[in-house]
Amino acid sequence: MSKKSMWTLKLSTAAIALIPAAIGINYLGKLFAGLLKLPLWLDSIGTVLASMLAGPIIGALSGIINNVIFGLTVDPISTVYAITSGAIGLVVGVMAYKGWLKSIKTAIVIGLVVGLVAAVVSTPLNIIFWGGQTGNVWGDAFYAFLVSNNFPVWLASFGDSIVVDVPDKVATVIVSYLIFRGLPKNFISIFRGSDKIEEL
Amino acid sequence: MSIIQVEGLKYKYPDTDQLALDDISFEVKQGEFIGLIGRNTAGKSTLCFALSGLVPHFFNGGYGGKVFVNGLEVRQHEVGDIAAHVGLVFENPFSQMTASKYTVFEEIAFGLENMGVERNEMITRMDESLDLLDITSIKDKHPFDLSGGQMQRVAIASVIAMKPKILILDEPTSQLDPQGSEEVFKVVENLTKEGITIIMAEHKIDKLAEYADKVALIDHGKLIDFDTPAKVFSRDDLPDYGITAPTATRIGKALGIKDSKTDLFPVTIKAISREIGDKL
Amino acid sequence: MSTMTLYVDKKSFIHHVAPLTKLLYVMVSIAITYIIPKLEFVLFVTLTSLLILAIGKVFRKILPILALSILLIISIIIVQGFFHPENQTVLYSIGFITFYKEGLTFAALLTLRVLNMIMSFGILILTTKHDELVEDLIKKGMSPKIGYVLLSVLQLIPQMRATMGKITDAQRSRGMETEGNLLVRVKAFFPLIVPVVLNSLHNTRERAIALEVRGFNTKMKKTFLNLSKEYQYTKTIQSILWAILIVTIAWRILS
Repeated sequence: MSKKSMWTLKLSTAAIALIPAAIGINYLGKLFAGLLKLPLWLDSIGTVLASMLAGPIIGALSGIINNVIFGLTVDPISTVYAITSGAIGLVVGVMAYKGWLKSIKTAIVIGLVVGLVAAVVSTPLNIIFWGGQTGNVWGDAFYAFLVSNNFPVWLASFGDSIVVDVPDKVATVIVSYLIFRGLPKNFISIFRGSDKIEEL
Repeated sequence: MSIIQVEGLKYKYPDTDQLALDDISFEVKQGEFIGLIGRNTAGKSTLCFALSGLVPHFFNGGYGGKVFVNGLEVRQHEVGDIAAHVGLVFENPFSQMTASKYTVFEEIAFGLENMGVERNEMITRMDESLDLLDITSIKDKHPFDLSGGQMQRVAIASVIAMKPKILILDEPTSQLDPQGSEEVFKVVENLTKEGITIIMAEHKIDKLAEYADKVALIDHGKLIDFDTPAKVFSRDDLPDYGITAPTATRIGKALGIKDSKTDLFPVTIKAISREIGDKL
Repeated sequence: MSTMTLYVDKKSFIHHVAPLTKLLYVMVSIAITYIIPKLEFVLFVTLTSLLILAIGKVFRKILPILALSILLIISIIIVQGFFHPENQTVLYSIGFITFYKEGLTFAALLTLRVLNMIMSFGILILTTKHDELVEDLIKKGMSPKIGYVLLSVLQLIPQMRATMGKITDAQRSRGMETEGNLLVRVKAFFPLIVPVVLNSLHNTRERAIALEVRGFNTKMKKTFLNLSKEYQYTKTIQSILWAILIVTIAWRILS
């Protein structure tokens, strides 16, 4: 890994060009998951991979732009969750940089943290925009159950998001980690954007 | 003065131990056409990257020696600045389209917009490039709707519009069908008439023999030979470097026909026909 | 060439309004429905968006987009109608199901906001060309690199969708099973996604090189081939929108 700060704003062209690819991978992940009727979305594999390859800033940008684009082309509602997607990219990028990309086990930890963060960020959005639900049948049933048992709305909504997000994000990070581990090394170095050129 | 000057160039990619370019030195005069030959991993692409500044600025890694293009030292300038002096076109036509423009015309404008070329000047230059590359008829098409050969010509036009003194072509025909390749070679021939210095890595040896003023033979990152096509293609050890001599040279060798001007084996069909014609 | 777009090429007054003005409308109209949480007001804003869609001759095109959110809207009505914490006044009962006035009123407010959000977005995306919106944003100071990313996503996704078809066919012909129990289907996910990832990373690397040699990374001030279009009433409409936003904020603070 380069010694350069992960927060640098001087982004390499390779890292910029990675964003559209990441968004395309997100999209195809979702299509394949649908094709195979998997009970998960798997629609953020590209964002997570971009974070692993190029750090938190590119990861966050991939996430945000992903939702803006889908807002503009498919479903305006998805724009609301741009913040959540950005947070996912940010968290994976930081944890990858801090050395949490060592094994399946640590990847699962990243997945749990990502799922939790996604739920924390989504909850206020869900409350502000639609009174606390997610539009996901299982999550909303859980929400209804909690609210009818006199849990406060914010907690019920958080529960709703957790049910929806955690399993999906753990699976997403595991899949992304397995792909990342298998990538040829020369793929990785250009995205890091280290400025260091060794003198020969 | 030479337009390209390479002095003791060494380079290795990040996370590798082997030198991809090992102590390479040569000079190119303005307007020359240089053919670059060698096997697939010899270092041809890396040398092309080094002349356009991508090595070391894009790839990083280890670097030594000096490269001057049109008076600029590559190491000291960013790729974007070098782009006004050196154009690069490579194998895959699809990935050379920016994927952000809706017509060929806009696609060609991309580089000029980035360089801040004033709009009228931009349009003049684009019309010239379209004309030179013979793609005016497709200028309103979407870049992804083109054939490989057309796309590759758009890629060349995009670079030529930036008015580089030097054009580097890294195996520009290897992903094209015969017709597409022929289209590309034809426009390259046009470009040589414009006085542009051309460096072309290419496996189609017969074509290279036809156009090249000089040929650079590379193997394992080293410059093995840098001389006229006649001299390089007359070498007996070409197969050791994964190269098959041009058809004309092989016929010449088999029949013992030499070019009467150079006393070397001929490299083009034209030259050997002339020799045979003279003998008959 | 297919590109991802919902743009409908028609001639209407709305099509001739500047992209950034429409963007401002999206932001203002969504914001005010949250600033003033009154059912009648939100209904009025929603109807305004609907009217603008009709003027833009794209009303019918919004329906499939609205349909995507039908699940969310049903969920809002049911869950809030039944379970809203402030539910007291019984509106009516069907068997064991009881709808409460408070919950339904809240559900109506939320639903109208969602409808307005989608329709106001619809005004922008159904009557505006992407490249015009992005170029206008760049001229207003957005990074050209972000602009590039936005435009290229729209072109690359259809390309990748085409590769997806090829990969699925290829893997099926090699005997990959895409039906069966969950484990079989999970296993099938990798041979599908991995080639997509490798292929797109490879293209990314090459495209980055192509961008570099075409001056993508220079610090020079960008020029534009396409001239800015002349739009109608830009200043007037934008001033009105800003005024509406300020008035609603003032109303919220004062009341």
